[in-house]
Amino acid sequence: MKNILEVTNLTGGYTYDRPVLHDVSFSVRAREVIGLIGLNGAGKSTTIKHILGLMEPVKGKTVIHGTTFKEAPETYRSHLSYIPETPILYEEMTLWEHLQMMAMAYNLDETTFETRVHPLLKEFNMDNKVTWFPSHFSKGMRQKVMILCAFLVEPDLYIIDEPFVGLDPLGIHSLLELIETRKNNGAGILMSTHILPTAQQYCDRFIILHEGKIVMQGTLEELQAQMGHPHATLDDIYIYASRGKKV
Amino acid sequence: MIEVVEQLWKKRRDHYLTIALKYFRLIGNSGFMLSLYILFVTGSFYYAQILKQLPDQFPAVWVLLVVFLYLLTRSPFRTFLQSGDLVFLLPIEPYMKAYFKKSFYYTFLIQAFSITLVTLALGPLYSRFISLRTSDLIITLLLLIVVKGWNIRTSWEEQRLPYEVTRRSYRGIRICVNGVFLYLLFEKAYVFVIAMFAVMYVLHQFVYKRIQREYSIKWEHLIHLENRAMMKLYRIANLFTDVPQLSQKVRPRKWLSFLAHAKFAPRRPFHGLYRKTFIRSNDYLGIYVRLTLIGLLFLWWIPSGWWHVALLLLFTHATGVQLLPLFKHHKGNVWFELYPLQKDSRFQAFKGLLQTLLSVQLCIFLLFLIILQEKWSFILLCIVGAVLFILYFVNFYTKSKLRDVK
Repeated sequence: MKNILEVTNLTGGYTYDRPVLHDVSFSVRAREVIGLIGLNGAGKSTTIKHILGLMEPVKGKTVIHGTTFKEAPETYRSHLSYIPETPILYEEMTLWEHLQMMAMAYNLDETTFETRVHPLLKEFNMDNKVTWFPSHFSKGMRQKVMILCAFLVEPDLYIIDEPFVGLDPLGIHSLLELIETRKNNGAGILMSTHILPTAQQYCDRFIILHEGKIVMQGTLEELQAQMGHPHATLDDIYIYASRGKKV
Repeated sequence: MIEVVEQLWKKRRDHYLTIALKYFRLIGNSGFMLSLYILFVTGSFYYAQILKQLPDQFPAVWVLLVVFLYLLTRSPFRTFLQSGDLVFLLPIEPYMKAYFKKSFYYTFLIQAFSITLVTLALGPLYSRFISLRTSDLIITLLLLIVVKGWNIRTSWEEQRLPYEVTRRSYRGIRICVNGVFLYLLFEKAYVFVIAMFAVMYVLHQFVYKRIQREYSIKWEHLIHLENRAMMKLYRIANLFTDVPQLSQKVRPRKWLSFLAHAKFAPRRPFHGLYRKTFIRSNDYLGIYVRLTLIGLLFLWWIPSGWWHVALLLLFTHATGVQLLPLFKHHKGNVWFELYPLQKDSRFQAFKGLLQTLLSVQLCIFLLFLIILQEKWSFILLCIVGAVLFILYFVNFYTKSKLRDVK
């Protein structure tokens, strides 16, 4: 299966001499959900920022469909959409205008926009709130706006940062279903989360980050084998990995 | 514990005064003080003139009543609370009495000062229509300050009420009491004024003390009020300098949605965004309209000729400069960097909007000049001059000013 995203020997951080990430390498293939897992401060958000092209790597590179961000910024960006951990909205725009803005920015035509937007709004129970301004949205609704925007674009790669916190159970269910559908349609998804049981159930492979390094990666079975416990849950594996692989 | 909260209050007041002073110094340095001074001198000259020309049946009592009714009833309480207090000070609510007491004295001092200023300013009106005796004016001032204290105290208790509707109805009571008191005061019915004090005492003892007993402090509401007071300072300062803490208030302005509406245009999302931000975000539209109106006023005031060309350029320039901050309005929004668009497209969209806005304003000015029956040669000159200026401003000036803005 072909790689959508390829991260090779990525070293980087906020200052040149003290990188947060050390030699991180992994890939996201088509039809695959990857769980990016680690303690607070392990480097998940930094990894994501490098993939988004918001930070320059000190060493190594991130490649989407064969090109780096530097080579072709617009093409690179057009392949991905992003759901941030903290929703970022334009306070001056209604929900509908946010969706329109996203569609315009990603060069969708109006008919495509219209056919995609209504089912999404209905799915997340937001179809009666299209004229609302963000100041009237709860935390969960703001999160939903981000989800709607990201899935409206239908890119090849989804970068999702901790999507479950603040979302109501129905919303979580809808999001997981959407992830499943897009995956089956050929997209790749990189999802960072702390909700391990959900990750265990929905992710195909896992990357466990600890202090800026990848300490374990692979499918659940592979991780279980590395740990030597064939029935270990992702919770067990995670604790094992972040305590320096000691049982 | 009491010393601790008192210490905290002092620290916060000092912090506030430092900030306020810093901004006032900036405002003072900006040349605004000079125009204020000129305004003050000419203002007092005309004030004396107008006062002489007023007819004897001028309703001075009612003018004074309205002014002081506003000043007395509006009694914002400065608490210096911060958002974090909801977590950190909530547990010591019982000890906060000492803290709020300090706030009361501070608020009282500031507002008594402004009452004194206004009384002095209206002094000439008072002596001409109410009483020539200085002692009357002094007694009036003292009584006003006492009633100000009553209002601050009772409006503070009002803030304990959980709903805006009930708070408003209690404010209604204060408006009535203040109104009757002021009427009696300016009619010099001092005996009845004393009766009003009795009414205020009774209200305080039996109505407002009951609120104090029955309702707790509404932290979130108080923090909201405090934030609003801070924003007021920031907004004024923002006219002279960049205030990073200024949180933008959004007004949907539904009646203008036909202007805000943007056509669905793939690859061009920023045109709509800037148009909507201009119309809905707190003050860009207000500044634009105000500058246009002041421009019209000046065009009408100043006799036609060369001055009109200069005025036109002056106001176009002022409007353009005031609108430049719109470009970086969404500063720090990560989406700007994530969209798969050319870096330049945002600047192009902003330039387009700026050009449209300045052109519309120019058309309004020109139309007005035609109505004023300005000579055609001058109108032609205005058109050529302004069009050239707008092109220069949008294409060169804007670029040089915004080059470093991300």
